[in-house]
Amino acid sequence: MKIIMHFKQKMLIRFKKLCPSVPLCLRAFSFAPLCLILAFCLFAFAPLLLPLPVKAQPKHTIYFFNPETNINNFASLKIEFDTYLSKLGEYQLQPFNDRDIFEKSISGKKDGILLVSSWHYKNLKEKFPLKAVLVGVFNGKSTQKRVLSARKDTGNPGFFKGMNVASAGNKEYTMNILKEILGGQGEDALSAIQIMSVPKDIDALMAVGFGMATAALTSENSLLNLEKINPKQRQQLKQLGKSGEMFLAIVAAPADAEPENRPLLEALAKMGGAPEGESKLRMLGLEGFRALSASETEALKK
Amino acid sequence: MAAAVSAEEAGSILILNSNMSTEKYALAQTEFKSRLEKRSNLAEVNLGEKEIDEAGIEKIIREKNPELIYCIGSKAYMMSNKLAKEKKTVFSSAINWRRLPMGRNTYGVSNELPAGMVLMTYRYFFPGLKKIGVLYNQNYNAEWLKNAEKDAKDVGIEIIAESVKNSNRLDSALEELLPKVDVLWLISDPVVLSGPESTLNILQKSDSMKKPVFAYNEIFSSYGALLVIDADIPTMVEQASMMALDLLSNKKIAERVPSPAGSHIILNMKKVEEYGIELNKEAIGSVNKIIK
Repeated sequence: MKIIMHFKQKMLIRFKKLCPSVPLCLRAFSFAPLCLILAFCLFAFAPLLLPLPVKAQPKHTIYFFNPETNINNFASLKIEFDTYLSKLGEYQLQPFNDRDIFEKSISGKKDGILLVSSWHYKNLKEKFPLKAVLVGVFNGKSTQKRVLSARKDTGNPGFFKGMNVASAGNKEYTMNILKEILGGQGEDALSAIQIMSVPKDIDALMAVGFGMATAALTSENSLLNLEKINPKQRQQLKQLGKSGEMFLAIVAAPADAEPENRPLLEALAKMGGAPEGESKLRMLGLEGFRALSASETEALKK
Repeated sequence: MAAAVSAEEAGSILILNSNMSTEKYALAQTEFKSRLEKRSNLAEVNLGEKEIDEAGIEKIIREKNPELIYCIGSKAYMMSNKLAKEKKTVFSSAINWRRLPMGRNTYGVSNELPAGMVLMTYRYFFPGLKKIGVLYNQNYNAEWLKNAEKDAKDVGIEIIAESVKNSNRLDSALEELLPKVDVLWLISDPVVLSGPESTLNILQKSDSMKKPVFAYNEIFSSYGALLVIDADIPTMVEQASMMALDLLSNKKIAERVPSPAGSHIILNMKKVEEYGIELNKEAIGSVNKIIK
């Protein structure tokens, strides 16, 4: 008790030094004035003592990389997707334009899902344990073929050698498809081909039409578009070859983290059904996503 | 006594940039370097630096003695043409290259998209807009208009043109043209777009008559243009770098100055909704930037 009284006196002296004008009546309350002041200070300056409020980081991310297009619309894509997805949960889209950085970024990550081309997925599943869940759909189809087209008047026996191919896909992807289409022409012809990267399929076709490239590697659908836009230019083209059917974009989850990412997968699956969601998917050249069938999942394993 | 000239290093390239503080020029340089850095010995000069003058550039060219000069922008090209006319030269980002002096070893990529390519893109985005109005001056764009009218027919578009003799006649030409068209296409014409006031005037008058505007430069999108189609810089640099490598390998160049092969598209969705225009939803996948 003696110790407590001594402590109270010492605090009072300090308080008197700090606040000499404090009335004696308050001093009579012994420790009470100090407590009042301390309480006031804590209340008044609490916002300075506490950390500033931080905007919550989205918990789940869609990691996006697509070697089939060079269109640099990532800023708009991210804003549009994030605005839409944030209404459904703590989700965000993270686009990448470099394959190596993308693959380094997803390594070991379980807080999200991947949105990739089917060609890239087949490659990725050899490096990471992944489970393909959804496939992109356009015009009711989940697959597409790539077509190599050139002007009708440019074909000659040595044509493939030194051909300048416009493509919206990156060089690795384009060369891979060209190998599939022109495999019979031999390595020499393939290695002499120049690939010119353009932002989108329609640019590749116009590059042939206006003489900036000798051939274009595009989707079948973009040729249908060309037919609608400029039938004359479409008629001037001939088909040099066609790839096999390829799936459109694939949505995959880390094999051991599918349940955690289920709500985000469901949000993506429903996106095409909502007008606002569909308009965002159009930016990726898709109308919607649907679950992969058992046979499609098998086909992706090959 | 003549100054010492170092031996030309095979495969060496000097990049002459008109001004690195111009965003488009800086992007062109970064893109070019990313494509060629591993394959060539590169040196860089920024003409925008205060410390550098013509004598300094001449000295650098003499000392580096590059096999090829890559010029970004007209200023860089004019300097290169003056100081090293005989060098293999590739240019890009030079506005209206046809007014530039062309040397024996000069090659480049045009900064302007072909009218036909632009018209195809308009048709792709807005299939319902079939009458396109153009204001032009006979002295500057008569030839261009003739070709554009031909290309427009291929895509089912009719171009309705109104000649503007001088900037004082702009208002009357605009009043004559706007009621007849679905959309106004702003082209690069020094008489029609004689200054910021005339440009704003065109955009405001078009807006008051609910006539959308197509344009060729990003700056117009902030003033309410519906669609802006410009050449895509990375694609132009890709073309220029392929050309540079072919020249360094003494390969034959098919076309001395090809058109850009890629476009950069800005779509103003606010205007799409405001005017109630039919937009081909599929085309949204081709947009680089959406304004909302």
